[in-house]
This record gives sequence, structure tokens and C-alpha cells, in this order.
Amino acid sequence: MNDEKVARDRDKDAVQDEVESDPPPSVIRASMKGARRAAAPYVTATRIALARLARSRAARFAAMVLAAVFVVAVLADVLASELPVLCRWRGAVYVLPCVTHPQALAGLDCQAMRRDSTGGDWLVPPLVSYGPTEKSADPAEALLPPFHGGHPFGTDALGRDVFARVVHGARTALELGLGASAALAAIGLVLGALAGFAGGTVDAIVTRLVESLTAIPTLVLVIVVCAVVPHPTTATMLWTIALTRWTDLSRLVRAEVLRALGTDYVTAARALGASPARVLRRHVLPNAIGPAIVAVAFGVASVVLTEAAVDFLRVGPPSTMASWGEALGEARSHASAWWLVAFPGAALLATLVALNVVGEAARDALDPNLRGVELWQGATGMASRMTRTSAR
Amino acid sequence: MLGYALRRILWSIPTLAATSLVLFFVTTLVPDGPPPQGTGAGVGGADRARAVEVRRSSFSELPRFVNRSPQDVRSRARAAVARVAAGDPGAPSDVLARAHQGTDELQRLGGAALPYVLPSLEALPPDARGRVAVALAPVAERMGLAAREDVAQPEAAALFWTRFWDDRSLDYARTAVDRTLTRLLNHGSDLREQDLVALDTFALPEVIHAMATTTDGQALARLTRIARHATGRGPVLATDATAAELRRAVADWREWWFVHATEFVVLDGARRIVAVVSETRYGKWLRRASSGQLGLSAIDGEPIEEKLRSHAPITLLVCGLALLVSWASAIPLGALGAWWRGGTFDVVSSAVVFLLYATPTFAVAELLRRVAGAFDLGGARVALAVAALAVGSLAATSRWQRAAMLDVVGQDFVRTARAKGVPGWRVLVVHALRNAIMPTLSIAALHIPALLGGALVVEEVFALPGIGFETVRAVEAHDSAWLMAVILAAAATVILSLVATDILHGALDPRVREVFASRHGRRA
Repeated sequence: MNDEKVARDRDKDAVQDEVESDPPPSVIRASMKGARRAAAPYVTATRIALARLARSRAARFAAMVLAAVFVVAVLADVLASELPVLCRWRGAVYVLPCVTHPQALAGLDCQAMRRDSTGGDWLVPPLVSYGPTEKSADPAEALLPPFHGGHPFGTDALGRDVFARVVHGARTALELGLGASAALAAIGLVLGALAGFAGGTVDAIVTRLVESLTAIPTLVLVIVVCAVVPHPTTATMLWTIALTRWTDLSRLVRAEVLRALGTDYVTAARALGASPARVLRRHVLPNAIGPAIVAVAFGVASVVLTEAAVDFLRVGPPSTMASWGEALGEARSHASAWWLVAFPGAALLATLVALNVVGEAARDALDPNLRGVELWQGATGMASRMTRTSAR
Repeated sequence: MLGYALRRILWSIPTLAATSLVLFFVTTLVPDGPPPQGTGAGVGGADRARAVEVRRSSFSELPRFVNRSPQDVRSRARAAVARVAAGDPGAPSDVLARAHQGTDELQRLGGAALPYVLPSLEALPPDARGRVAVALAPVAERMGLAAREDVAQPEAAALFWTRFWDDRSLDYARTAVDRTLTRLLNHGSDLREQDLVALDTFALPEVIHAMATTTDGQALARLTRIARHATGRGPVLATDATAAELRRAVADWREWWFVHATEFVVLDGARRIVAVVSETRYGKWLRRASSGQLGLSAIDGEPIEEKLRSHAPITLLVCGLALLVSWASAIPLGALGAWWRGGTFDVVSSAVVFLLYATPTFAVAELLRRVAGAFDLGGARVALAVAALAVGSLAATSRWQRAAMLDVVGQDFVRTARAKGVPGWRVLVVHALRNAIMPTLSIAALHIPALLGGALVVEEVFALPGIGFETVRAVEAHDSAWLMAVILAAAATVILSLVATDILHGALDPRVREVFASRHGRRA
């Protein structure tokens, strides 16, 4: 028969060897699928870790909080904006003008549109029809307590809606937190893996760099860089954090790579002739992902915290968007207006605690010492099921 | 043990080098010019001169790491003479413009350039010689040796300078300057001052050096007068100046000399070779960092290092107390939590510590300030700042302590001690805690970056005039010299404390020394 194809199939999946001759390949594949489905969930480190993560009640709750913050951040424009969600104005229908900010509606807001509406104009307002940066010239609008004049969280000293600022602050915090963490995760993974895998001079250079960057306080560095760069933006802050805070992650990844390189399965893979790239990709890096996830979870927390502190001190880049830290900083001069502290403070604290809980739970879930026990317990049960399916 | 300490210190050198490169990179982010004030329309000569001065004092004209042709007074003087000599009245306008620049340059270099200009004057063609001699005329006038009309004509000027060099070339020697200056400092006569004025910028190295070593107000007044006469810049002291004025004026001159020294001294032999590395931006930065001469504050003109020194005690006090307070509370918390693992105390304290761990320092500080705001805060501000700062590192420390204690509590010797009938508290304190406390204390150095960052926040919240408080002011005033000095100081503090705690830990625990030796012996 088709020897060449069979040989190729054999290489692809060793299990196919057993049923080599008789049924056509499609049937084999179908039966393999069935076998896999029957055996699922088969034991992988990821599955165990996820199961452990899901079993922690605190982690589940924290994940829900984070999901809520994320949703709020994504939907910030629909929750609070000066423009409506959907409207008809002067004969034209606008869909989501609060997101697109069309030219024709520039300078307008919901109040003005309601007041000046002519026949046939209508609008669907967002949850709160004030934007985060919309100031009020009317001094009676400043420092309103919650639930006055259509402001569920009140207004600040400039007459800006606190709800809108909290909602848009979530976006600022998550944008910076996730952006910086993604960048620092990439740098940390690459440099850590490189240092551990290449060793020698590369390792020495990366290690020295890690040591020297660790010696510089992040907050001080961010403040100084934002102060001396000609035109600081949020991106300046993001890159300052990303380029200096990859150190923890790279140290973890390096340690994990060094550990994995000493294991029998890597020696075996090398003996089988696997290229260094393949060893790194298939056998070494998957082990380093765990610590990386934990480091990123804590990394997001520390980035959010740094951003809040910098904005609180008002020493960061001039912000165009709302930020929790900035809101808290402004509240300093209005001690009696509790709502200026309570809402942004609660949002910030909830986010930080949730991020830390998730990071903590991920660390526990990935802890090899605990995992070893679980893996053994889980594997015995799972192994008996697998023997049963293969014996079928 | 001594070997371990030495080796640990040696191993911190590469780290220091890497840190210096990172910090140097941060300094290159500072823009060259001053922050633009207003738009370009009314930029006068004074503004341009200031912009040039700012560029020069940030060394942005120098190469970054290697200077293949370091400039000194000789090369500058020769280039200027060549330009002036080429400035024939019939030459194209760009050549004339450069001749004009050369004239300015010769005037600025002054007496220091004469030993390299005058001997070669004879070799120039007559009209070029005349032009150079006239270009040098303001220098002669400054020295008080000739009136303007005596040296205004090319022939007369050339004759004047030839005679001048015949008469006075012996005065243009470092030893001669040194002798004159010593006499001036010892006897303070106007005649000696005249001698130094006649040497013009040639006497500057000794004069500036003498400023740094003299504290006598009378002498400083003379020295600053001489320096100002030669350079046309800088503060002059009255004879009855206050100590603060003296300090500031001397700092100003030393800072100016730090930037401009190579324009008035000649780089010969070994100094020329060193200049290949030292006359670079990195070399200058490194010299600033290692000599502690960190420039002048843009806010009040005070030398940065003095300002750092005067503000450091508050910051160090707050950080040190916060560290002690956090240890005093975190070690019992963590140790007892591990001792009663899973009990009510453990669960509650872990939860509280976790919450504190996630809470930003600024939120804690602000909360404390508001709660205490009803009362009149005096010295209590320091206590509150310490408390706010301690909370952050308390959380991290007690988690470490708990983990370390859990390790120890599970070990055999603890069980043995219990089996022998040792009382519970004694097992806890003597057997377990004594073994579990070292890791906690040794990671203190890792908290220091966070503590320094936190100090900045609490000082601002409680208005304590420490380094952090001043840093926020410096950000508002764009005082980049201060900002650069602050990161340098922070990084230096962290590295020094890391090395110190490592050595201390090694002294107390031989296992640390072994681990260090096995980790670094491989490569050495």
C-alpha cells in the first residue's frame, strides 16, 4: 500500500502504529478523537493548576471583581459620557456617538441636545450623561454630594462627575497595567530564558543588569523620567515601568530554565537530537510560564499602584484622562467631601486586592511542592481511567 | 570571613558599573537646551549665550563614551588663530564670520592661550600676524597692560605682543603662578593681585583650587575678584560676606570650573590619554557621581550635595524608624502566625496583612493624616509618617517571617526540643525564631527601594522637608540636577545596603558564605 504515507503518519502519532494496516486514516483519527474525549480530562500541569485555582473561593471572587473592572473599563464610554449612546440629531442618526465622537456633535452634550432638540430628534442617554473631563462653569455644580443633580457619585471641585471619573479611571489603570505588564512579561521572558539557556557572558550581563535595575526605586525613577523628558505622556510612564520592572520575572524564568535544563527529560530530548530551539520551546519554556503568570499578576498590581501614586502626587505626565490616583490627590484639599475619596479609593483598593489575591492563588496553584502531591493523587485516579479506555 | 567580605565587595563592582550605565542613560534623557520659554521671536544674544552655556554644562557637545580628539586650550587657541589669520578683509563672508568667532574665542581663552599663540606669531605672514595681534588686544586691556589705542593698529599690536612675550614668558609657568598665589594668600597685597590679574585666565586653575581650600573671607574676596576679572562672569564676594554667601559663591565657581576646565588647561602626556575617556559625557557623569560634586540646584543655586546632606537626615530617620517599627511588629506577627498555623490568630493576621500588603502607602498616609488632622500636628507628623511607611514593609516582612518560620517549625530539632519537655515559649523563641529570623533581616535591603519610594510619598503627605519632599518641589521647578542626584543617591543607598547586609549575614551564618562561594567560585 501507500508505505510512504503510513510512515509519515507513524511519525506524526505513534499511537497509530497499533492499528496501522486495516482502517483508513480518517477512521483512525475519528477513533482517536473518541478515545481522547473519553479520557478527558487527561492530566496536564495546566489543568491541575486551573482546577486548583478554580477551587479557591477567594480567587474566584477576585477574578469576578477583576472581570467587573475589565467590563467597566471596556464599557466606560457607554456608562458615562457627555454624548448619548444612540441619537437622531438634525435629521441624521448616530450610532454610539459617545465612542466615535463624530465631528457634527462636537461641543454638544446630552443636556444641550435635549434642550435644543427639534421635531424628530431623540436620544438614548448613557447611564450617566456626563463625561470624565467635562467641567461645569456653574459653581453650584461643584462638590455636589452623591445623588444630586444626576450625579450618582457626586461631583468634584471643578464640577466634574465622580462616577464618570471612576469609570474612566478603570480604563486608564487597566490600559497602563496590562500594557506595561505585557511589555515587561515579554522582556522578562526573553531575557530570563536567554540568560538561563545561553549562560556565560550573556548570563553575566543580564544578571548584572537585573541587579542594577533592582537597585533603583521604581517610583522615584518614574517620577524623575517623567519630569526630565520634554513631553511626557502616559506612554513614557508605561515604557519606564516596562523597561525596568522585568527583573523579577526574568530572575524567576532564569531559575526555572536552569532547573529544567538539569532534568532527565531535557537530557533525553537532547539525546534524541532535538535542536536547542526545540528544547527551549517544547521542554523548557512551558515550565517557566507558571512563574511568569504569577509575576504578571503581581506586576499589574504594582503598575496600577505606581500609576496611582504618581498621579496622586501630581508629578506624572499631564493626564488627559481620568485616573483614580489623581482623583484621590484632588480630594486632599477637600477634606469634608467624603465621596471624593470613597469611590475612587474603593475602586483602587478593590482592584489592587483582587489582583493580589489572584496572583497569590496562582502562585499556590502552580507551587510544585503542593502540585506534586496533587499530581500523584490525581494521576492514580486518572491513570486507571486511561488504562480502561485503552483496553476497550 | 574577611575573604568573603572582600569578595562580596569585589562582586559588587560589576553591578556598580551596570548601575552607572543605567543611570547615565537616564541623564541623557534630559533635553539639551533649557525648557523653551515663550516662542522664538525675541531670542536675543543673551538667550543664545545662555543656551550655549546650558548645552556646555550638560556636556552634550562631547561624545558619549570615547573622545578621540579631546580639546584643550592649545588646540582651541590654534584653531582660533587659524580662523583669525584667514580673515583677510577680501575673504568671503563665511570666512569672515568664522574669523569673528575666532576673535571672540581668543578673547575668552585669554591669558591661558598666550603661551600657544605668541611664540608662533612670528611664523605668520605680516597681515595675518597683525589681525591676530589686534584680536588679542582686549586681553591686553583686561590684563591692565595696555590702553586700547596702543594696540588698535596691527603693527603696534604685533610689536606689543612680541615685546610682551620677550618680557613675561617666564611668568607663564605653573610654578610661578603657584608662588604668586601663595604670596597673595599669605600677605594679601594688592600688588600680588595685580600680578595675577596680569596673568589673566592662565592663573585660573590655581585660583579656583585655592577657593576650595581657603576659608578666609578676605582671601576669597580677592580670588573671586581675580576670577571674575579674567572671565567676565560669576559672583564676586564682598569682604564681609556671610558664610552662606561664601559657600554658594565657591560652589558656583567650582561648578563653572568643572564644566570649563579644559578650556584653560593643556592636556599633556598621561592626561591626554586619560582625557580620551574622561572628556566624554559618561566620563564627566562618572566624575560627578564619584566626587560628589553634583552640580547646582536650579531652584536656589545651592550645591546639590549640600542640599542632599541637609535633607537626608529626615528621610533616613523616617526610613530607619519605619524599618525598625515594621520589624518589631512583623516578626512577632509572622512567627506567631506560623506557630499557630491555621488557628484564628493566623487566619485573622494573614488576612489583615494581606489587605495591608495590597493597600498603597499613599492611601495609608492620607488616611492617617485625615484621622489625625483634627489635632494640631507637630512632631507627631514624623510618627505618623513612620507608621504609614512601616505598614507597607510590615506586610511584606511578616509574610517572609511566616514562611521562614514554617520551614523551621517543621524541622526535627524543634520536635526534639518539644519531646524533651522544653516549654512552648522557649521552643518558639530560642529554638525556632532564632533560626528563622535571619532570612527576614537579610531581605531588609530588598525593601529599601520600596521604602525610599514610600518615603517620597509620606514626606509629601505630611509635609516633612526631607529628600522626597524636595524632589516633588524639584519636579515642579524642572530642577534636573537635583532629580539626577536623587536617583543616584537612591541607587547608591540600595547597593551599599545590599552589600552591607550580605556581609553581615555572611558573618553570622557560614552557610551564606558557602552558597556565595559556590555560586561565584565557578566563574572566577
